[in-house]
Amino acid sequence: MTAISPVRVEIVRNALVAAAEEMSITIWRTSRSTVVREILDFSTAVFDAEGRQVAQSARIPVHLNSMSACLERLIADFIPLERWDDGDVIVTNDPYSGGQHLPDIQTFRPVFHEGRRIAIVGTLCHHVDVGGGAPGSYYADAREIFQEGIRIPPLKLAEKGVLNQAIVDLVLANVRQPDETSGDLKAQIAALGIGARAMERIAAKYGAADLAAATSAILDGSETMMRAAIAGLPDGAADFVEWVDDDGQTEGPIRLQVRLEKQGDRIRLDFAGSSPQVQGPVNNTRAMTCSAVYYALLAALGKDIPANSGCYRPIEVVLPEGSVVDARFPAPVTGRMVVNHRIATAVFGALAQLVPDRIPAAYYAISYVYALATVEASGRRRVYFDIEVGGWGGHAGGDGASALSCGLHNNTNAPIEMVEAKYPVTFLRYGLVPDSGGPGRNRGGLGLVREFRLDAPVGSLSTNFERFKHPPYGIGGGRPGSLSRTTLTRADGSVEALRSKVSGVPVRAGDVITIETSGGGGWGDPAERPAARIAADLADGMVTPAGAARYGTDLNEAAE
Amino acid sequence: MTSPLRIAVDIGGTFTDIEILEAATGRVHQFKTPSTPSDPSIGLIGGIKAAAERFGLDIGAVEHILHGTTIATNAVLERKLPAGAIVTTAGFEDLLQIGRHGRRDVYAIALDPPAPLVPRRHAYGVPERIGPDGQVRVPLDEARVAAVADRLREAGVSAVAVCLLHAYANPAHERRVGEILAAALPGVAISLSSDISPEIREYERLSTTVLNAMLIPVVSGYTRRLSDRIAAEVPGSHIYLVQSNGGVSGLAKAGREPARLLLSGPSGGAAAARRLSAELGEPDLVAVDMGGTSFDVSVVHGGQVSMVTEGDIDGLPVRLPMVEMRTIGAGGGSIAWVDDGGRLRIGPQSAGAQPGPACYGRGGTDLTVTDANLILGRLEASSFMGGAMPLDAAAARAAAERVARRIGLGVDETAAGAISVTNSSLATAIRLSLFEKGLDPEDFALLSFGGAGGVHACEVAEDLGIRRVVFPPHASTLSAWGILWSDIVHDLAATEIGLLAEAGPRLAAAAVRLRGEAERLLAEDGVAEADRRFEWRMDLRYAGQAFDLAVPIDDADFGPAGLEAAAAQFHALHRRRFSYDEPATPVELVALRLAAVGRLAKPAPDASEAAAAAATPKTRRAWARGAFVDTAVWARSALGERAVAGPAVIEETYTSSYVPPGWEARLERSGALVARRIADQ
Repeated sequence: MTAISPVRVEIVRNALVAAAEEMSITIWRTSRSTVVREILDFSTAVFDAEGRQVAQSARIPVHLNSMSACLERLIADFIPLERWDDGDVIVTNDPYSGGQHLPDIQTFRPVFHEGRRIAIVGTLCHHVDVGGGAPGSYYADAREIFQEGIRIPPLKLAEKGVLNQAIVDLVLANVRQPDETSGDLKAQIAALGIGARAMERIAAKYGAADLAAATSAILDGSETMMRAAIAGLPDGAADFVEWVDDDGQTEGPIRLQVRLEKQGDRIRLDFAGSSPQVQGPVNNTRAMTCSAVYYALLAALGKDIPANSGCYRPIEVVLPEGSVVDARFPAPVTGRMVVNHRIATAVFGALAQLVPDRIPAAYYAISYVYALATVEASGRRRVYFDIEVGGWGGHAGGDGASALSCGLHNNTNAPIEMVEAKYPVTFLRYGLVPDSGGPGRNRGGLGLVREFRLDAPVGSLSTNFERFKHPPYGIGGGRPGSLSRTTLTRADGSVEALRSKVSGVPVRAGDVITIETSGGGGWGDPAERPAARIAADLADGMVTPAGAARYGTDLNEAAE
Repeated sequence: MTSPLRIAVDIGGTFTDIEILEAATGRVHQFKTPSTPSDPSIGLIGGIKAAAERFGLDIGAVEHILHGTTIATNAVLERKLPAGAIVTTAGFEDLLQIGRHGRRDVYAIALDPPAPLVPRRHAYGVPERIGPDGQVRVPLDEARVAAVADRLREAGVSAVAVCLLHAYANPAHERRVGEILAAALPGVAISLSSDISPEIREYERLSTTVLNAMLIPVVSGYTRRLSDRIAAEVPGSHIYLVQSNGGVSGLAKAGREPARLLLSGPSGGAAAARRLSAELGEPDLVAVDMGGTSFDVSVVHGGQVSMVTEGDIDGLPVRLPMVEMRTIGAGGGSIAWVDDGGRLRIGPQSAGAQPGPACYGRGGTDLTVTDANLILGRLEASSFMGGAMPLDAAAARAAAERVARRIGLGVDETAAGAISVTNSSLATAIRLSLFEKGLDPEDFALLSFGGAGGVHACEVAEDLGIRRVVFPPHASTLSAWGILWSDIVHDLAATEIGLLAEAGPRLAAAAVRLRGEAERLLAEDGVAEADRRFEWRMDLRYAGQAFDLAVPIDDADFGPAGLEAAAAQFHALHRRRFSYDEPATPVELVALRLAAVGRLAKPAPDASEAAAAAATPKTRRAWARGAFVDTAVWARSALGERAVAGPAVIEETYTSSYVPPGWEARLERSGALVARRIADQ
């Protein structure tokens, strides 16, 4: 490998990041679906000639590492690199071939310069529907992956520049919204073309040898920074156990156990003791589990480390085969975020034993996904789909943020006015839940309450929630955040408490659905919270007088 | 006979820049005076009087004063705002606290979004409900509004933002709440969301309304003092304030809707870019403004400044039309450093003005972009700021040496490396801001301004395949010069959701309403009927889509033919921006927009200022493509009409421009210096 100047490395790195960004802009510009345009559930990445990720454009942490893990598996077990030709596009969505869940379709394309492969570019897009048992392909009753939608094993979607339309037709025949899927797939292919052009431009400008030397240096640089950050932690071992309520089909709980061993500049995480894979669709594959682990470590190490394959080299992840964190075919996985968020909080919990000052208390840690299918008097059918969030944990620097998209996901809410303009529902309430933040020297952020009424004659409700039994933990004496719950108030006034995960609960006009999400855990002993801050929380209604009593501080004193 | 005068005043933190146009001749004068931060209107009046005296102009001939102010922006950034409250639909008091959920810093542990401007204790709900169709579902509980008024009085707030659900579709409840509060709370500023931002999406509307309400006491105090001073000292003149949309408006409107001033900083530069684009015959111009800490990119395409309908200030959404801008943290003060992975990085930390670059000799020890330019001979120690601020070259080299040791390069190579890395970031920012609009840099000319940009512009252009770079006259007061050529612009909008094909009658009714309001506002500004222009746009989207596009329409024709033409325009625009269209899918209307323009006269520039040309330049050694070479150094004022081949440095008082080998620069008749690429390297 030729020696390369650090100046050239940085200029090439800038260019690679820009290439990933151009691909990202292309997907945004040319895609059809709102999942892509409004929720921004997609990522793009650039890899070196051997398939090691060197740059990415991703704002959703769970996408971190998704593509590099997929590509690695794809090359090792399915299509070796010598069979990648100029103009090929390779596609998969199969969790058991390195993919995430079925709606995430990944595409890759090799880039050639002067006859040699110099890079690979890739995209990942969450498609609005890939078939299976429920619209949107979130089928809570799935017991095996065959019920979750169409599986695309790793295959060549285009060969030497010629698109295999038969494959596209086969996929489109198996999805509910073929126009959007077709449009988003085209956007992914267009983005690969833009990425390839950008990489050719870079190779022409700097030469293939310098490009290769620069990418090696970029990976080594991130590895060096990661090792330095790890070395800054005290040596030691820590164990932590998280409990997930259930898989929506059987009685829980699901156990997540991690042993973290930190020695010098390396970290080893062993998940032995975690529950076997479960019947419901909340299982994680190795690639998914690693995404959560890497997110937690990058956040905890708090360093400005460019995320690429180099970062992961000092981290060893050991997973028990056939467990909920390394599920085997054909376990269903669509609701993977139920467990995935909690893998991150388990790693945070273990890290907190080594460096409590750098770790936040647990957050709500679930993507509160719900869907209300409605049928209007005219017969018109629609599906109102939304994602809610809760509170972040208290941390050494202050209180947790309330009602923020935290941890492994990062989405925006749908404006109430937009929802009401489009779907037959009326909102009655959207607010913070007082006392939902765990008490602590630094309080947990507050969870949310969202209440809406069905205005159409009939509908059916599905939810993929968590935290109904196991609240977000506190740290250093901080108390847990609140539990979540769903309440259904019938038009006749009767009230039902729903389970965390329900599928197709019938609702009628006038029925009111109330969703309460969890606040974050508290950080530090509540008794150490200054009285003035408790008084301010009281004045702002963040805590009620009853909630303030949980701090063990004299209220009259607090009021002064 | 004195010519009527138009005066532009741009008040910055340190200096107040003044440009005076003699409307009869097109002659322009520049003047700089220190700002008076405690009451900027003092510096403004003092500056105008001093400038008039300097140039022998009659202050009685002043017709228009156009004024750019950061008073609203600074009040928000420094949180120097009066106590405020919000009134919402009952059940939705927390909308401001909840926001839109998304976070910017993906890996942060301290996830602390900016605190809302109104604390939760000052959020009040009133029972009422209006549907998305504008129908009243639950009547307004007026007794509860009165009770809220009592509590607001006890709380002692000075500003109240009223934002009720779906008020964009029917403002009746908000208006009634406004009346009750106004009667009960004399002297308290009250803003209605249906007035300031009558568009769907409750959080952005509320955020904009809150900013507006809390700024009213701040800005109206200033406009009152200003108009008193103007009436006394510059009688007979009209004064206008620069808005975020690139136009100006009268004081009365600015006092009612001060949120429109919030992002007006870039407006002067954008107005200058538009004016230069017309003067130079360059319809496609990408404008870059590089100062001490940041690099701002804006785009003129087809002679029009690229605009957006929403932005934010310090993380708080402002949904009002404004100049579109991509900003990165790269400026003359940006610090070069080596990270733990051995990369040479630039910024985002900046040495700022204090201590500033090492060469300022104020105690800075970090290598900055300005230090690197000094080491490379692109800046000159003795002529910086016209010689008023000699630079310390030894300090710059000492700073570079520390970085050089860590990356194993020589001092000169390290400085050159820092400039290369900087240029690659600047080029990337430009490439992406054009790419996201579907535009190609090779079709553009580059307009470079701001104190720090001139020494980078040509090399950045080279990286992008851009072949022409424009260095405008008055680079250090360009914003004031741009303001001089602004028009009065009022943006009005009506949300009208529904299928476009069926919206004709509703659109016609809305258009009559908007047009009437526009005529009233322009009359308030004293604009003659002949100078009024009306630009209509519709926000359209495919049915079911979440995103809409602003489609310009030629005139307010809402008959079947007009609507069909608008739909055709929409398909074409969609294709350009997103690469596909769907002619078979019904087109949905979201809003009708009207920009009401009051045109101010634009005399041709006076070209009588060609200065005497110096015979020979100075020479110094400057870095070019890997080595120091003899480089001609010209004073811009001495260029005359000759073409200068690179390598050359062209110096002005407040900035320098670098012309690399393979480029040639010449002063154009308009006063702009234009560098052209004449040879490919």
